[in-house]
Amino acid sequence: MATTALAVSAPTRRAGVRRFLRRFTLSARVAAVVLLLYGLIALTGPLWAPYSPFATGSVPFGGGSWTHLFGTDILGRDVFSRVVYGTRNVLYLSLTSTLLALLVGGAIGLASGLVGGWVDELLMRAFETIISIPLLVLALLAIAAAGPKLAGSSLLLILVVLLVYAPRIARMARTVAVDLVTRDYVTVARARGESVASIVWRELTPNAAGVLLVEFGVRAGYAPILISSLGFLGFGAQPPSPEWGLMISENRVAIVTAPLSVLAPAGALAVLVISLNLVTDGVARVLGRSVTRTP
Amino acid sequence: MILRLIAQRLAAAVATLLVVSALVFFFTSVLPGDIAERVLGHESTAQQRELFRERMHLDRPVYDRYASWVGGVFRGDFGRSLVSDETVTSTIASSARNTLFLSLFAFALYLPVTLVLATLGALFRGKPIDSLISVITLVGLSIPDFVLGTLLIFGFAVKLSLAPALSIVNPGDGFFTRLHETVLPAVTLMVAMAVYAIRMLRDNLIDVLDSEYVRMATLKGVPRWRVVFRHALPNAIGPALNVTALNLTYLIGGVVVVETVFSYPGLGKMLVDSISVRDVPVVEAAALLASGVYILANLAADVLAMLANPRLRTT
Repeated sequence: MATTALAVSAPTRRAGVRRFLRRFTLSARVAAVVLLLYGLIALTGPLWAPYSPFATGSVPFGGGSWTHLFGTDILGRDVFSRVVYGTRNVLYLSLTSTLLALLVGGAIGLASGLVGGWVDELLMRAFETIISIPLLVLALLAIAAAGPKLAGSSLLLILVVLLVYAPRIARMARTVAVDLVTRDYVTVARARGESVASIVWRELTPNAAGVLLVEFGVRAGYAPILISSLGFLGFGAQPPSPEWGLMISENRVAIVTAPLSVLAPAGALAVLVISLNLVTDGVARVLGRSVTRTP
Repeated sequence: MILRLIAQRLAAAVATLLVVSALVFFFTSVLPGDIAERVLGHESTAQQRELFRERMHLDRPVYDRYASWVGGVFRGDFGRSLVSDETVTSTIASSARNTLFLSLFAFALYLPVTLVLATLGALFRGKPIDSLISVITLVGLSIPDFVLGTLLIFGFAVKLSLAPALSIVNPGDGFFTRLHETVLPAVTLMVAMAVYAIRMLRDNLIDVLDSEYVRMATLKGVPRWRVVFRHALPNAIGPALNVTALNLTYLIGGVVVVETVFSYPGLGKMLVDSISVRDVPVVEAAALLASGVYILANLAADVLAMLANPRLRTT
């Protein structure tokens, strides 16, 4: 399986990508462009953002104007610049943590389904137990346990997302693996005496790639919500970080006088998540897979 | 047969809950670092910390502390709050009642909205109304609940003055006053739950409407509404029950955020507040309670699915 995929020459692969894009729905294409824009803003934002995200000095909660596009926040900082800088934050944290969770959870889940027996039983029981603590409650507990020294650090947030996502992804990957291990090519690989790692990487991963990709999309679509919810509750990014959830919580008191200071980060967050979800739906449709989003 | 299966699941749920209690205890009490300093803060004096350690019995070994904590939990004794010095049980009781009220309210809104929109989407599949519902639900599941709550406050409390922005409840409030006070958080929770269920129920309904017995009924001349309500809906409801149970589990995390947005004095807000002030016994109790409800909701979903679908009973 893996060998045929690798043997495809470069021009045909490019044609494959083009065919893939052609089958993208219109909404998925628009969303993909929006995501590219977010990526561009994250990469180049600091070069052209009009103010530093931390620069105070203007009138607090000033309305939108040409000098301050989205007005100013509770400390007189430029909301537009803070939203731009925040993009970098949320994209980096969401994608890194989800990717890490996919690698860890996917590898453990596939290997567990392949090995079977008591190892599989034990791992799955452990993951089921972690999953039976509500996602947000577990995240809060982990952050509380980490203590004040780590509060708000990117590392802690990435680890927290890893902790809540990896068991869920592992459970899903294991279900896929249990179905795949009955196939002939796995039996053959086993008979050849290949190691577990080799079978997982060369036989299971290529065949589970579609499911894992869709799962990645669904999780990546929820990660910004989780991270900003933690920021909103005061357990995520700490002031003066330009994190969107934290900005919403700081400026909420002035929703009457300076609605833009809340609506700008809220809109940026919503559009990002909608685009992530639309692209995931588009990819899933091309791959012929259904997307199940559970609350 | 089925009773034995249910008993097995129940035993498994109790076992899970026991492990969860150990996890929760581990997270709050046993992690490295000086717990006394973590709870009291850097500014605390050595004497304060010593007093704290004595009160929390930190000199005793971990398994001993865990055993006495779990023993207390079985008797309904979660210890005393570090902040108010009242028993945790009495602290939690009124918050739990408030959360129950809010959850029931949200569920009462959720059921009709889900049924109506999913049926509409399935009946008019591919038509503008179906697309509209599909877009609305996708947007709905992309908007974080704290953003939705804030937007509802902006629209309905600030601009239209239809409902209070903060859900502050007084003990003497009547039923309808409380409904009015909690309408915005209830709607927020309802939307957050309904968007998933509508998508799922609509897809199931479409599958059932395409099935042969439904086509047979239509060919026999059964009126359209009767086909939908008597033949299709009951058969599509099984998987939707499952998502409803999942929604119940969402609700437990959801109330944490939504209650904070609306300053509603429920379990979720209590969990956030007690983590902020590091009131360890209250955090432990609230987290365990949340996990317990979560596990029970999943158990209920399994049992309901078994009752609805006899094929599941054999495994």
